[in-house]
Amino acid sequence: MTTRARPWRGDTALGAIAVLGIGLYIVFIIVPLIMSAWKSLTDENPLLAHSDFIGLANYQDMAHDDALISSLGFTLVMAAVVTVAANAAGIGFAMLLNRTSLSFRMMRTVAFLPQVLSGVIVGFVWRYILAQDGILNAVLVSTGLSSRPITWLGSPLLARFSVGLVAAWVLTGFTTVVHLAALQSIPVEMYQAATVDGAGRWQQFRRITLPMLAPGTTIGVTLSLITMLKLYDIIVALTSGGPANSTESTALYIIKLAFTDDRFGYASAVAMLLLAVSAVIALSVTGLLRRREVDL
Amino acid sequence: MRHKRLLAACLAAGLALLAGCSAPSSGGSTGSVTLTYLTFETPSLTASFWDTSIANANKKVPGVTIKKLVAPSTDRDAYAKQLQASGQFPDLLQSITPSTFVQAGLLKPYDQTWVDANFLLPLGNAYKGKVYIPPTNSQIIPMVFYNKTLFTKAGINAPPKTWSDFLTVCAKLKAAGITPIELGGGDPFAASMPLVGILSADVLGKNPNWLQDRYSGKVKFTDANVQTAVAKYRTLAKNGYFEDGALGVKYADSITNFTSGKTAMYMMGSWFLGSVPKDHADDFGSFMTPTDDGSLVVPFAVGGSMAISAKTAAPDKATAFAQAWSLDPDNYKALIEGDGAFPMLKGKSLTDYHVTVTQVFKDSYAYVGQQNTKVSAFGWATNDDSMPSGLNDAFYAASQALYSSDDVAGQMAKLDAAWNTATK
Repeated sequence: MTTRARPWRGDTALGAIAVLGIGLYIVFIIVPLIMSAWKSLTDENPLLAHSDFIGLANYQDMAHDDALISSLGFTLVMAAVVTVAANAAGIGFAMLLNRTSLSFRMMRTVAFLPQVLSGVIVGFVWRYILAQDGILNAVLVSTGLSSRPITWLGSPLLARFSVGLVAAWVLTGFTTVVHLAALQSIPVEMYQAATVDGAGRWQQFRRITLPMLAPGTTIGVTLSLITMLKLYDIIVALTSGGPANSTESTALYIIKLAFTDDRFGYASAVAMLLLAVSAVIALSVTGLLRRREVDL
Repeated sequence: MRHKRLLAACLAAGLALLAGCSAPSSGGSTGSVTLTYLTFETPSLTASFWDTSIANANKKVPGVTIKKLVAPSTDRDAYAKQLQASGQFPDLLQSITPSTFVQAGLLKPYDQTWVDANFLLPLGNAYKGKVYIPPTNSQIIPMVFYNKTLFTKAGINAPPKTWSDFLTVCAKLKAAGITPIELGGGDPFAASMPLVGILSADVLGKNPNWLQDRYSGKVKFTDANVQTAVAKYRTLAKNGYFEDGALGVKYADSITNFTSGKTAMYMMGSWFLGSVPKDHADDFGSFMTPTDDGSLVVPFAVGGSMAISAKTAAPDKATAFAQAWSLDPDNYKALIEGDGAFPMLKGKSLTDYHVTVTQVFKDSYAYVGQQNTKVSAFGWATNDDSMPSGLNDAFYAASQALYSSDDVAGQMAKLDAAWNTATK
């Protein structure tokens, strides 16, 4: 018996939509990327019409830029810590919310709420919560947990902690939903079989839940990392990068270079660096995590 | 047929998206000119203030429609640069720092004859000999405002004259259980006020050309006299003369803290005068940052109204509107009463503006007209003493860092490095 190749049924409408999508991607992502890469080889000033080609001078300057090194260090540490915290919390909340009743479905909506708020609103709201005379200090002092208000945003260490806390709060909504979807795709029969074989809850979590959550964890970790590596809006609203630039992320530093220091070319070079670092981290982590994914 | 309709719908959606990217036109439909005007809002300079002032100036300049733009923060310089980068540089820009924009050829100077005829200090904010913003008002940045009741409670009968007296006053206040100095350290510009006062008094007070000398490389931030001045700020911080957790206090909260009597002194620009509570205004007084020998140094900044874009399609109309707005006394009522601005219009006294001001405003305004040593307010000048791009941010960061760090030499070295990068 011979098989006959199916005739190709090209759908021109879908093709048109694909072309539109690709076109938008090229116009709003690829073209600006190429333009930014070109600008990184110049000494462009946003106020001047003319700029000169300076080759790799901007990239060479980076090695001596203490502010860049400091912002990159802060960004990478924040990305690692918040990604772990948000995904661990996301798994925990997903396990708690993995019920079918109406109240749990409503709680899932509430859990996702931080993700739909704009970063600026989140930053402003938390700025008032964490203020010297804010709600958090009022609760801590009135309950006796602290003898005096804590300067959550007033010292470099605590300001960094506060930024991480707020970012983790936002991302946990997303990671909860992602892991919940992964949890709900795990066949119940696997747990039933494990119970019959005498596996306890912890063993079931380790041997069934965690491995089966791997695809969700890959998505959650990758997107958390990318979000944290380009974090800007929450920091601007919460701390403006202070005190003393201690919470200045690389994204915030790029904006400052471009529009305060008038160094468009150098800012573009730093943006290229951030892109390269983000790509390496995202691809490496994704590659590592995908090995853990289990196919049914 | 179904595919063709779907294709048409997709193309229409794509065209609609691209249509949103078209540049706005500056011509009106009836021959009038539309000018964009970059403004900024504060608790005193509200949307209503701008709308009213624009409407009043419009009455004097027919054929002009003003499209108001509002900067998302008080950093209108940075927003103006973003607009320039996206090809939307406004026709009129309120209270920007001209220097960077002038170097880029983006601003049009005012006619000097008109400036000379209308303002007390025609060259008060001139850059390279030309005026790009009418010198309509001035500020003293900072002053030291104080609460007379708290001073009396601590047994202090008069404001300090020398730095040594100032430290004694701080110690007395602290001993009486009163926080000596309020600091809005959470907002970078507010955090820098004590340092602005000290450097203006000690460095510029002895060498008014220090900033010009820095441009020519004759002096540095790491020089001994600058470090000695900065060390005074460290003394205040180390001795606990600022409130607890000052770096976490936002500017707006620092005003509330001081006006509600939680702290005894507040180093802030004279715009604070607009926030003095009217019901007990006589509780407040002001003095200048004390110097070692008690000599009076007034850190002065001449501000102004709006700059005009050199690229505006309607320079005559833009200039006419700017001049009409700048000379409208009604605009100054809000600026004086709400923003503590010291008016600089020629031939006018405070009564000509029909304002109601406090005694502390009158006492502070007196410094403007008196013969005394006026120097540029460090970091706030808009004339030739304005700092290069990016230095203000570096200065603010240093101020915040020095609140808790003793590394004066290191922070001054960072400022020198930032200056060298900005001016190379």
